[in-house]
Amino acid sequence: MTYDPREFTGLRRRDFLRYLVMAGLAACGGRAGVDTTGGPGTTAGSGPSTTIGAPDIKFEEPTVPLSGELRILLWSHFVPAHDEWFDPFVQQWGQEVGVDVTVDHITVAEIPARISAEISAGEGHDLIQYIAPLSQFEPSVVDMKDVTEEASRRWGEQVAICQRSSYNPNTDKYYAYCPGWVPDPGNYRRSLWETAGLPDGPTTWDELLEYGSKIYSEQGVQMGIGMSQEIDSNMAGRALLWSFGASIQDENENVVINSEETIRAVEYMRDLFEGAMTDEVFAWEAASNNEGLIAGQLSYILNSISAYRTSQEANPEVAADTFFSAALEGPADRMVATHVMYNWIIPNHAQNVDAAKEFLLHYTLNYEAACWHSQLYDFPAWDSLVPKLGDWVADDPFGSQPSDKLAVLSDAINWSTNVGHPGPANPATGQIFGESIIPVMFAEAARGEKTPEQAVADAEAKIQAIYADWRQRGLVGGDS
Amino acid sequence: MSDEALAAGVASRRPRRSLLDSERLLAVGGLTPAVVYIVALVGFPFVLAVLMAFSDVTVGDPSLDFVGLETLRQVLEDPVFWRALRNTLFFTVVSNALVVILATALALILTKDFKFKWLIRLLVLLPWTTPVSLATISWLWTLDTIFSPIDWVLRQLGLLEGNMIWLGQPRLALASVIIVHTWRIVPLAAVIVMAGMLAIPTEIRDASDIDGAGFWRRTFEIEIPLMAPIIGVAVLFGVILSVTDMTVVHVLTRGGPTNYTQVLASWAFYKGIEGGDLAQGAGTALFLLPVLVAVAALILRFARRTEVL
Repeated sequence: MTYDPREFTGLRRRDFLRYLVMAGLAACGGRAGVDTTGGPGTTAGSGPSTTIGAPDIKFEEPTVPLSGELRILLWSHFVPAHDEWFDPFVQQWGQEVGVDVTVDHITVAEIPARISAEISAGEGHDLIQYIAPLSQFEPSVVDMKDVTEEASRRWGEQVAICQRSSYNPNTDKYYAYCPGWVPDPGNYRRSLWETAGLPDGPTTWDELLEYGSKIYSEQGVQMGIGMSQEIDSNMAGRALLWSFGASIQDENENVVINSEETIRAVEYMRDLFEGAMTDEVFAWEAASNNEGLIAGQLSYILNSISAYRTSQEANPEVAADTFFSAALEGPADRMVATHVMYNWIIPNHAQNVDAAKEFLLHYTLNYEAACWHSQLYDFPAWDSLVPKLGDWVADDPFGSQPSDKLAVLSDAINWSTNVGHPGPANPATGQIFGESIIPVMFAEAARGEKTPEQAVADAEAKIQAIYADWRQRGLVGGDS
Repeated sequence: MSDEALAAGVASRRPRRSLLDSERLLAVGGLTPAVVYIVALVGFPFVLAVLMAFSDVTVGDPSLDFVGLETLRQVLEDPVFWRALRNTLFFTVVSNALVVILATALALILTKDFKFKWLIRLLVLLPWTTPVSLATISWLWTLDTIFSPIDWVLRQLGLLEGNMIWLGQPRLALASVIIVHTWRIVPLAAVIVMAGMLAIPTEIRDASDIDGAGFWRRTFEIEIPLMAPIIGVAVLFGVILSVTDMTVVHVLTRGGPTNYTQVLASWAFYKGIEGGDLAQGAGTALFLLPVLVAVAALILRFARRTEVL
């Protein structure tokens, strides 16, 4: 079926380009016009504020004397207000403890290559952050067991998915420190779903298929579950697998992808594509579903709240119409992958390990501020750190109308899990993620290039080869 | 004064040859920067890539443990590698065929006299001067799934209903990659061909005019054969740029849909850096070498035979 989306939205090319630029800037970490000088609740014109009402910064003396330099590399946050807070926050800590701190932000896509280059060269930053598990770098990074245990001693038990995304049970090593994560709810346009007869959006995968197809055929607005070689498609594919009772590996890191459950999930995705989507989902990059939602072109996407936060500024009409749903109930489970899983690593070449670890504890101590300044994008790995989180999502301080729009996130931990579920995130799952084997598997079946059975079998062959490779290095468990 | 005495007097007044007059030193001094550059930025990475391809190195473990041909066996067993290899050859052949045709046509036009020729020449060169990543991002927007201006024009002409979705369908995605490669290489090739065209002695054109040769005959039987070696040089540059480029695929499609547009350079990056298996990434990239060596040898031999280089 072909149609002209402008017939339904009235969106002009100029408007689209404006939204595209703003979404792109937001996704790339630009300022995207966010003004942090207005008051809470401000939307149109000045954007959500992160200044007024922000938690105070706490400080505790380091356990060891610090000096020298500390070089930090991290992503340009999807919510630019976070970085506006983070950089002076780091400098303030550096002045307090006598450490000269340098902070470098780069786009998220460049970080893995940068880490590889620095580790190969044996020099570079002392502390590096990424938004997905960095288990593949385990042999070249400092064990973070002491800092993780210290954090748990101070603030209680670490959230399990964060532990599974930073700890390798086969080597008993914390290859990363994980202070937080980001939920990945469904984002849907209420007006479209209301017209279709489901005003509160989908709660099951069956509803998503039935009503999403109805919206596409009757209202001409497609759905946006990616099957491309990018991060969001990887996350969406895993959510579907888990909801159907399938997974790449079991809890003991044995490959179990080739199952009846996986084939059912692939068949479902094929049906969803045929009923509710266009070929565009095969061509997406990470920001595409954000851009589509902000431009009012998609009825439902799986994403964090960053697209919504950007649309509050770029397209308030769409923002007002955007609502959130929890993980969709499938035949076996109700689970999505975390949208982001923060991993901080200290490479072996780091010159100031003590300062890096002390900074991480200071940053974690102030995670309430990190959560606030990310406009509720970042969630903590230690629940006690952000006691007001439930209140904030129930009554959004950043201008949502209605103010309880984000309330669905209050129990996000119950329907979110780590990449590698039900096992740990390990280098094999990381490589499978990097090579986008799961989205390609779904896409091959959806496009009719292969039967679901063949697509799953081919994916299994690639996955088995990857597991065998990493097992030889002793970094992945299991034996099949 | 005898001739000998005069000669001796002249010799004694001639300044002694200093080090600065040494041709040997000049040669060494002149060549050293180029040699250092090539050894440091081409030779060393090349040797490192070969070593990596026979090791089990990963992004997290840079130690080079020799594993023989195991890594290359894994590379060759991967169906995506073979698709990437086929695509690399396909993109290169098709885009460079288009480059030769378009660059020659463009050179023929740009050597004629007409108003605002300088402006047209400037515009033709612009794609070459734009950084490839920025240019490809502009193409990414041009080929947008919903708001592509190409689609808009086609819709206005009544040739299209809906959208083409250029990058979401394998054939169109392949075509898009070829178009961008061609667009970016044509200016350089056109300048090279134009230089060759201007080097053709005017006597030859005059003679052909006197003999009554028309435009087509003069172009295809005189000018193009004379320019064949210089066109070969343009093709050499074009092939090297096409084979080694990963930016166009990375920005436009990331190898999709379903790895349909994957090329060796992009697959080496995804396998080695994003996947973490540096050895397989290096092993994949290594297969660029025979392709490049064969093409370079063929074209240089052709050029030498025709006495251009």
